[in-house]
Amino acid sequence: MSLKIGIDVGGTFTDFFVDQSGKETRIHKTLSTPSDPSIAVMNGLTDIAESMDPPMSLTELAAAVDTIVHGTTVTTNATLTSNGAKTGLITTEGVRDALEMRRGIREEQYNNRCTNVVPLVPRYLRQGVGGRLDRNGKEIKPLDLNDVQKAIDLFKADGVKAVAICFMNSFANGDHEQRAAELVRREMPEAYLTVSSDLLPSIRFYERVSTTALNSYIGPILDHYLNQLLNRLKDIGFKGILLIMQSNGGVMTPQIAKEKAALTLLSGPAAGPGAGLQYVKAHNQENCIVVDMGGTSFEAALVVGSPVVVNEGEIDRRRLALPMLGIHTIGAGGGSVGWLDEGGLLRMGPESAGAAPGPASYMKGGTKPACTDANLVLGYLNPDFFAGGTMKLDMDAARKAIDEHVATPMGFSIEEAAAGMYRIACMNMAQGIREITIKRGFDPREFPLVVAGGAGPTHSCLICEELQIPFQLVPRESSILCAAGMLMSDLRHDFVRTFVALLNDLDWAALNKVVSAMVDEGNKLLEQENIPEDRRSTIIKLDCRYLRQYHEVSVEVSQSDVDSHNLDAIAAAFHEEHNRLFGYSLEGDADAPVEIINIRVQSVGEVEKPAFRTEEKSSADASYAIKGERSVYIPEDKEFRTVPVYDGHKMVHGNHVDGPAMIEQVTTAIFVGGTFNCVIDQYGSFALYRKDRTDLVSSLIKGETA
Amino acid sequence: MSKIDPILLSVYARAFKSIADEMSISVQQSTRSPILCEAKDFVTGLYDGEGNMLEQMENLPILAFSLAPVCKYIIDYYDGNINEGDVFFHNDVFSMGNQNNDVAVYKPIFFDGQLVAWSAVKGHQADIGGNVAGGYNPNATEVWQEALRIPPIKVVEGGKLRKDIWNLIFANIRFDIVQHDMKAQMGACVIGERRMLDLIGKYGLESYQDHKQALFEATKKMMQAEIRKVPNGTYTGEGKVFYDGRHKGSEFTIRVKITVEDEKITFDYEDTDAQTDGFVNGTYTSSASATILTFLQMVNPDIPHNQGMVEPIEILIPEGKILNASYPKATTFGNHLCPPNADAIIRALSPVMPNKVTAGWNNLLCSLSTGKDAEKDDTYVDIFFMGMKGGSGAMDGTDGYDHIGMIDASGGVLDQDYEMFEQQTPHTLIKHEYDMDSAGAGRWRGGLGTETIYEIGSDDTQIVTFGDGDFEGSFGLFGGKGGGLNLIKMTYPDGTEVIPNNKDLITGVPKGTVYFQTAGGGGGYGRPGERDREALAREIRDGIISKEKAAELYDYAEG
Repeated sequence: MSLKIGIDVGGTFTDFFVDQSGKETRIHKTLSTPSDPSIAVMNGLTDIAESMDPPMSLTELAAAVDTIVHGTTVTTNATLTSNGAKTGLITTEGVRDALEMRRGIREEQYNNRCTNVVPLVPRYLRQGVGGRLDRNGKEIKPLDLNDVQKAIDLFKADGVKAVAICFMNSFANGDHEQRAAELVRREMPEAYLTVSSDLLPSIRFYERVSTTALNSYIGPILDHYLNQLLNRLKDIGFKGILLIMQSNGGVMTPQIAKEKAALTLLSGPAAGPGAGLQYVKAHNQENCIVVDMGGTSFEAALVVGSPVVVNEGEIDRRRLALPMLGIHTIGAGGGSVGWLDEGGLLRMGPESAGAAPGPASYMKGGTKPACTDANLVLGYLNPDFFAGGTMKLDMDAARKAIDEHVATPMGFSIEEAAAGMYRIACMNMAQGIREITIKRGFDPREFPLVVAGGAGPTHSCLICEELQIPFQLVPRESSILCAAGMLMSDLRHDFVRTFVALLNDLDWAALNKVVSAMVDEGNKLLEQENIPEDRRSTIIKLDCRYLRQYHEVSVEVSQSDVDSHNLDAIAAAFHEEHNRLFGYSLEGDADAPVEIINIRVQSVGEVEKPAFRTEEKSSADASYAIKGERSVYIPEDKEFRTVPVYDGHKMVHGNHVDGPAMIEQVTTAIFVGGTFNCVIDQYGSFALYRKDRTDLVSSLIKGETA
Repeated sequence: MSKIDPILLSVYARAFKSIADEMSISVQQSTRSPILCEAKDFVTGLYDGEGNMLEQMENLPILAFSLAPVCKYIIDYYDGNINEGDVFFHNDVFSMGNQNNDVAVYKPIFFDGQLVAWSAVKGHQADIGGNVAGGYNPNATEVWQEALRIPPIKVVEGGKLRKDIWNLIFANIRFDIVQHDMKAQMGACVIGERRMLDLIGKYGLESYQDHKQALFEATKKMMQAEIRKVPNGTYTGEGKVFYDGRHKGSEFTIRVKITVEDEKITFDYEDTDAQTDGFVNGTYTSSASATILTFLQMVNPDIPHNQGMVEPIEILIPEGKILNASYPKATTFGNHLCPPNADAIIRALSPVMPNKVTAGWNNLLCSLSTGKDAEKDDTYVDIFFMGMKGGSGAMDGTDGYDHIGMIDASGGVLDQDYEMFEQQTPHTLIKHEYDMDSAGAGRWRGGLGTETIYEIGSDDTQIVTFGDGDFEGSFGLFGGKGGGLNLIKMTYPDGTEVIPNNKDLITGVPKGTVYFQTAGGGGGYGRPGERDREALAREIRDGIISKEKAAELYDYAEG
C-alpha cells in the first residue's frame, strides 16, 4: 500500500490528512506540543496506525508511507511572538540602522500613537564593519576582518545563536560577504548563518537586509525542529520523501527549507487557498474567500481564478522580498483570550491560550477565558463530544473563568458575557476578511466563503451576517483543510538570475545558455524528488522595463518563443503587461528601448493528487441523522433556543437541514444560524446558504424543499 | 434616489481608497526620477464630476489638498469643453497650485457619455525650467525665475496627443525623464479611470452618485463630532521662519488664531507677517494643506479623506501674507512653511488638547544635488530625502517616532534605498544612522534625529539647500526638552569647509567633497525625571543616549 500524508502543525492542533491511493481518505487531529512540535506529529501517526483497518504498528505505517507533506507555523509564531533566535547582524559600517529605520516609513501618517516595530536585532548587536564595494561591485575599500572578528567576539560573549551578513552592493559581488561568512563559520560553527547574496542576490539594500535578518532570526528554530522531526521519522523507519510547504503555495525539500527558512513564514496556511478552490469548483465557481480559524490565528485569503500571489510582502511590518501567497493573518482563534482594556471595553485576543495551558475548559491549567470557553457556555460545543469525545471539556471551569474575568467586572451574566466574547471574535474575523476584499476593491458578497479550521464553522454564520455573504462551504475536511491541501500542492522551485541586456540587441545564445542552466538545475531537484519527466514543466519569465525605469515587470514567455528568437512576441507581451499594470505603454517609442534585467524560472513537478469522490445523490430528509437536541445561543434573537443536533458523519449528498441547527463531526461543530439552511453537495461538503437564496444551491435542492 | 446600503457604502469607501492606492503603486513602479520612484514625492486622487474629493493617497499630504480646488478650477476654466479622452496638466501657483515643481495630471472620467469623476496624479518633477536645475532657486524674486508656469492646459484632446502643446512644455524643461514621468502619471490616471468605470458599471451610476453623497455626509458628521470634542474658544500660537534666502538675519512669524465654535473650526492667519521679497512664500493651497494635515493628526485617524472631511474646516489667509503671496511673487519654498505653521497650531491647541498634540517636530532642512554622472554620461537630480529625516515630537504616552522626517509627510516619504541612491547618482554613501543624544528629553522622549554622510562622485556638482531648523530646534511640551539642530556642512578635498545657509545655491562642488548632515530630534513631552528607568538603560546599551546625557538630562545613574 502506498500512503501519502499531509501534516499541518498549528499553534494549538496538529492536523493530518491520509490519502490511501484511491481508497477512502482519513483525517485526524491531535493537540500540538509547542515545546517540541514533532512529538505531536508522532502522536498523530501513532493514532492513525492504530485506527487503520486492519490496525498497524507505527513502523508498519511508516514503511507504507511514500510521501509526507508538512506545513508548519513554527517560524510564523516565532516571528509574531518575538521568540526567534538571538541574532547578530554584520553589515557595512555606517548603515547598521537600516533594519530598524525601514526607510523612515510610518504606515499611519496621521496617527501619532503609531510606534515603530521593535527590530529583530537590537542596535547593540548590529555591528558595522569596514570594507566597501561600489555600485558595480568593485572593491573601493578592503574588508576589515578585524572588525568582523570584533563582532564575532561580541556575539559569542552575548550568546548569539544566529548571524546575518548583509553588505552594501553585495548583489553585484558576494566576495566580502563570503569572506566574512568564512570567519563566522570558523569561529561560530554552531551558529545559524544567512548570507544575503546567497539568499537574495538582488538590488535594494533594505529589502535584502530585512529578509536576511528575518531568515537568521527564525532559521535556528526551523532547523532544530526539522532535525527533531527527521530523526523521529527515521527512528520509525520512514524511508519516503518529506516535503515542506512553502509560502508560494508549492513544496520543497527539508534541506532547502533549512537554508531558506524565510520561505516557510506562510508554510502553515499556504495550502488552504488552493484547496478551497477545488471544493468550490463543485459549484461552478473559480473564485472564493478561504478562511481558516484554528486555535491561535485566523487566516483569510482571496482566490481569483488561482490563489493571489505577491512577489514580496511583509510579516508584522517587516519586509520580506520572497514570493508568497497574499494571506492576511490576525490573532483570533479558539484559544483567543477575552479581556477588558483600560477603558473597560471587552476585547478578544490577540493573546491565545494555545494548547498549553489552553482554554480554561481544557483543565490543563489555563484560567483565562478563551473563545472556546464561550462557545461551550453558548452550547456550540458539546462538552462530551469535543474531538469526538476524546477530550472532555469542563463547563464549570469555563463558566468560572468567564465569570471572574469578564462577567463580574462588566456586571453581566455569564451567558451575556460569553455572547459578547463570541460576537467580538466574529467582528474581528469579519474585519480580517474586509482587509483582503473590500480593501482591495472586491465585494465579499460575490465570493463563496470556504470555511476551514476546527473553530471556523462555529463562527461563520455570524461573520457572514456581518458581511452579508450569502453562501458558505464547509468541506468534510474543513478542520484540516491545509493538511488536505498540502497533498494537492505541486513541487515548485523558483530560480532567479540577473541578466541585463537590451531586448533588441539580445545575445540569444547567452540567454539560452542561462535559461537551460536554470531549467537543468530545476530538473535535477525534481529528479531527486522522484518526479518523472512527463510530470515536469517549466515556467520562464523575463523581468523587463523600459530603459531608465527602476522597477521591472515580469512577463511570461514560452520556451518556443525563446527557441525561435521571437523578439516581437516578447516585446508585445511586455508592452501589454506594462499597459495593464500602469495604464500606458511606450510601444514604438525609439527613445524607450526595452531592457531585460532578470530571468526567472519556476520548475514545477506535478504530484498525484487525491481524487475527489463524488457521492450519489440521496433524499433531502436528514432526520435519520439527528442524534439529539440541545440549547444553543441564537445571536440574532439574543436568546437560547433548543435546536436539533445532527451527526454530520451520517449525512450524505442531498440531505437538507433548516437553521438553526447544530451539525457535529469529530473534529468540528457547524452552527447553522437562524438565517441559514444547509444542504450537502456531491463532494460531501456542507453548503450553507441564506434562507432567501435557494438559487445558489438550486441543483442540490431542486424539487425537494419548499 | 436609490436606497443607501450601509455595507455598499463601506465597499465604495474602501474601493476608492484601494483605487487611489493602486494608482500610487503604478506611479512608483513606472517613473524614472528617484524623487518619485524611490521617495514617493507624489499624491494620487479621485474626484467626483464636480471636482469634490472622493479619496486620496497622500504620500506627501502637503501636495494633496490642492488637487480638489484645482480640479474645480479646471471645470470652470473649460466651461463645458471637457470631453472623453481629454487629459489636462497644471502646476500654476497663481491658479491654486501649491508648488511649481509639483505638476498635476487630471483625467476626466465619462460613464455613458456623462462626466462622472476625475482621476488625478500630482508629482514633484525633476525639473520645471526656470533659472536653476531641479527647481529650487533661492535667489528668485518672481515666479518666472523659478519655473515654467502651466495654467490648465489640455495636452490630450479626445484621445489625441497635442504634439504642439507637448513640445512647447517640454522645450522649456531640462531633463528628458520629466516627459517620461509625466507619461507615467497619465498612465496612473488611466488605471484610476479603468477601475472607476468597473466600479460604477457594477453598481450603476445612480447608486454611485447617491452613495458618494452619503459618504460625504457621514464623513462630515465624523469630523464635526471630532471638532465638538475641542472646547469652544479662541486660541493663538506662533511659529518662526528664519531667513528668506536674501537678507541675512531675517526672521518672520506665523501667527494663527483658531476659533472653535461647536462643530466648526476656523484658522485665521490675519496677524501673520507679510510676504517676503524672496522665494520664502506660501500659496493659499500649500498653506491650507499644511493647516489641514496638522489638524488631522489631532483627530480620529480613521476619518475617510473626502470632501466631507474638509467642509467643517475654514481657513482664512489674507493675500499678501507670507502664507499667501500675491502675484507674481516667488513661492517655491512655500511647501516648507508647513513645519512653522504646524508649530503655531500645536502651540495654540496644546492647552486645550493636551492628550492629542505632540511636542514640536524636527523642522525640515534638505538639499538637492544635480550634475552629471560621468561614468554613465548622464545627468541626474536627487533630493536627499534620507538626510533630512529627523524625529517627531513626543506625546502623552508615546515617544516620538525616530527618523520620520518633516511633519508635512509624517512618514509618507521614504529614504532612497541606499543601493538605488548609488545607482541613480554618482555619490557614495558613507553613513546614515541614528544620531546619539539628538532626541528631546522628556517623560516621553522625542524621536531621534540622524547623521548622514556621503562623498560627492562627480566634479561640478550643484547643491541647493532649502529648509530651516538650524537656528531653533524642535520645542518640548509640559516640561519636556527640545531636540537638536539641523546642520549641513561640506568639506572639499582641499580641506575647505563650507556651511551653506539654510536656503542656498552652491555651484562647482568638486568630486571627493564630503557632505555631512544632521537632522535634529523631536521635542520631549513631560518632565524627564519621570522617564522609565529601564527604557533609559536599554537606550544606553543601544548607544542612542550617552551615559553623560542620561545623567545630565534624566538624573540617571547606572546600577
